[in-house]
Amino acid sequence: MNDADTIQPMNGRPPYEPGDAEGFYAHVGSGGKVEADDWMPDEYRAAVLKFVEMHANSELMGVLPERDWIMRAPTLRRKLALTSKIQDEVGHAQLLYRVAEDLGKPRSAMLADLLDGKTKFHNVFHYPTRSWADVGIIAWLVDAAAIVSQQALRDSSYAPYARTMKKICWEESVHIMHGRDVVLTLMTGTASQRAMVQEALDRWWGPLMQMHGPPTDPAKDKDLHWGIKAKNNEQLRQEFLSIYVPRIRELGLEIPDPKLRYDETEGRWHYTEPDWAELKAVVTGHGPASEERLGFRRVNFAETQWVRDALLGNATAAA
Amino acid sequence: MTERIWEVFRQEDEGDPMVHAGNVNAPDEELAMHYAREFYGRRGESHRLWIVARDAVVELDDPDLLKPPFDRSHKKPGGYVIKHKLEAAKQRAAAEAGE
Repeated sequence: MNDADTIQPMNGRPPYEPGDAEGFYAHVGSGGKVEADDWMPDEYRAAVLKFVEMHANSELMGVLPERDWIMRAPTLRRKLALTSKIQDEVGHAQLLYRVAEDLGKPRSAMLADLLDGKTKFHNVFHYPTRSWADVGIIAWLVDAAAIVSQQALRDSSYAPYARTMKKICWEESVHIMHGRDVVLTLMTGTASQRAMVQEALDRWWGPLMQMHGPPTDPAKDKDLHWGIKAKNNEQLRQEFLSIYVPRIRELGLEIPDPKLRYDETEGRWHYTEPDWAELKAVVTGHGPASEERLGFRRVNFAETQWVRDALLGNATAAA
Repeated sequence: MTERIWEVFRQEDEGDPMVHAGNVNAPDEELAMHYAREFYGRRGESHRLWIVARDAVVELDDPDLLKPPFDRSHKKPGGYVIKHKLEAAKQRAAAEAGE
């Protein structure tokens, strides 16, 4: 790996001096990796932090729609699987907040910003759940859309994030199996069970198509440029469609988009333009369940204050 | 001088996880560094090296956690066998489309 004629430093420090932003960007631009204790320009640090914090928020908020169904799970095994999935997702939030904390923002500040609506979480977690089929559609397709982007993040230039994504992707693959199993069980059941899945798919398709965000100009996308993420929004959506449209259709489910088709010559999917105005409104806290979800988190945060006081030794508050 | 054991972790390439490589026996940190350098760094085979005093390592060895006595198959991809259900759903969908 090393040139025999040159003496390599033993400490693995990157090939740029602290403060050399140009050298840093050349490094990440050519596929180089960055560790938590390496020097990095403030704008790179801020961009990684924003990205990881939003991801952590999404994991934490994403369990709330599923939490509603623990007590209503149809069998003990489903209840175990759902509880276990929720436990995993909260665990992902903890891992990701730790990655973000290392970049300089305290966890307490991230939670405060989330509860104040100053930071965002994924659009799909701003919607209510209506039936048990929603649990299947969320675990199968929402997690599938997420894993498409998470798999690409295993190549992130920020190495602590990339390594965390390897563990997260492994766990998400279990969630997808659980979700697909829930959907398949319903689809091999009665006509009303199949109708329930179709109804859930009809409601979730719009948010799913919005989830990866509008196409961006790759030339202006700094996260892409700096290797924080490896693929752009449209690439991720196309990848999701290529894998999951056939898997949805083979079950006899109908995707509620008459314009959806794959163009062989162009090698890409065509679809009805997702409602970007809805996406923007939803992620800024104006979704159908945004207030309810944040409200729950605020109550939960207040109710667990005594735990933090006890653990952090805040004697005055605990007294 | 009392000797101490130092555990050595190495990162093979940029971005890789730190992986346990082995340990060295040395009275102090400085000598431990020299040993680690010789054993794990001489051929440029390590991108980064971490040296940690063995007595600073805390082990978690709860068998209920590591080898749980109950069925935990719902936590693994192999715990879901969808083959037959998928086949049944596809057949039903194909029959319906053919009607």
